[in-house]
Amino acid sequence: MTRFMEDSLGWLNFGVFAASAVALLFIVLFVVCYLIYFERKFIGWMQYRVGPNRVGPFGLLQSIADVAKLLLKEDVIPKRADRDLFVLAPVLTFIPAFTVLAVIPYTEELYFTNLNVGVLYYIAVSGISIIGIVIAGWASNNSYSLLGAMRSGAQMISYEIPLVMSILGTVLISGSMNIRTIVIEQEGWFWNWNIFPQIIGFLVFMVAAVAELARTPFDLPEAENELVAGYHVEYTGFRFAFFMLSEYVYMIAMSGLATAIFLGGWHAPAPFLDFIPGIVWFLLKWAFCVFFLFWLRATMPRVRIDQLMTFGWRYLIPLSLVNIFLTAIIMQIVR
Amino acid sequence: MKGLVKGLGVSLKTLVAKKATLRYPDEPIIMPDRFRGIQHFDAEKCIVCNQCARICPTECITLTGKRNPDPESKQKLVIDTYDINFEICILCDLCTEVCPTEAIVMTNNFELATYSRDELFKDMAWLQSNNTNIRKENHPAKPAAKAAKGGE
Repeated sequence: MTRFMEDSLGWLNFGVFAASAVALLFIVLFVVCYLIYFERKFIGWMQYRVGPNRVGPFGLLQSIADVAKLLLKEDVIPKRADRDLFVLAPVLTFIPAFTVLAVIPYTEELYFTNLNVGVLYYIAVSGISIIGIVIAGWASNNSYSLLGAMRSGAQMISYEIPLVMSILGTVLISGSMNIRTIVIEQEGWFWNWNIFPQIIGFLVFMVAAVAELARTPFDLPEAENELVAGYHVEYTGFRFAFFMLSEYVYMIAMSGLATAIFLGGWHAPAPFLDFIPGIVWFLLKWAFCVFFLFWLRATMPRVRIDQLMTFGWRYLIPLSLVNIFLTAIIMQIVR
Repeated sequence: MKGLVKGLGVSLKTLVAKKATLRYPDEPIIMPDRFRGIQHFDAEKCIVCNQCARICPTECITLTGKRNPDPESKQKLVIDTYDINFEICILCDLCTEVCPTEAIVMTNNFELATYSRDELFKDMAWLQSNNTNIRKENHPAKPAAKAAKGGE
């Protein structure tokens, strides 16, 4: 990929870029489909039951049946809803989810862009989704929807701050916001991975990421039995599928970011294990992150909105600030 | 904080624990012995006393008798037709309680789902042939104790 990016733009390069973007889109859609299946299976197994197992062998076709159901449903737009915004909202929520996948380096050769401000790009673009959610709540012309969107917007913007600040520690250590550089700086044995010097940052990141993704225990926006499904209550069929899709693509992106920044990306835990290709290590670590998110969902009850906001503003933000200061001080001492 | 970690440990343990899901319909469910399932009717024992039809709360049993063709036996009437309408039968077991000869007993079968309502009107032949999984205390292999018990 480096070769294609360093050459000047011609038809061949453009073709490669376009084809790989489309390929990524299809891969992401396929992965989301089976991520949903695996989530239901894991959560089922953790609750003394088996997950879906009737549709197809081992229930593998369940996701396909669900997607087919969503696609075939009638597209209802409430009469007094703001039509243009109603249609715009799912699109605005999904597109940033997909575009942030561009800055995550999958292996040494397989990356989509080498932005020098990769971290900034990730955080900025993922903020656009929040606008999409608030628009969805407003355009639905429904009080529950608006309430859910307001809560969801408040939750997401409050947890963006500790999310960014926890990443800043690794940026300080690696000296660059380029995610590829951050991964390259973690090569060697597994104790070089950023999770060890930045353990506080990693914990803050995990908590803030779960809140940012609106997953249990912070899944108030989705609280099916509390807010009547929150901001996507008026959405049916394909538009609802877009919201679900964007949530799962964000899960993929966030786990990918955690893998790249804290867990060493494509590097093997020990140099002698290099013969196993980098993509395998990346996928293993990514799978562990995703499994951890499922595990949390199966275990924890939901927090209240005031407990959530208190936790974010009064505990996580000071903690991540402390992490940055500690990192800076120790770096000065070690220099 | 410690509670959270312990909770995570619990759910990790249940990941590998034995699952509580029953594998129905791949494996049949074995009902306990006194389960009130679909009835089994034994035409030879019926004396056409009409008690079951009288006590049925939903009036789903309809029966007719005919004069006993055998002049020597004491039994005056023999059963001719016997139908239970399973659209309204509630499997309450009252008909088996009042039957003096235990001609009608309950089995442990419960699968009655059909695709059309007509198939739910079961006649004597069907009820006679529904003879699997009869309750142990009503099993035809142990006929003797019944008359005394039925009187109680």
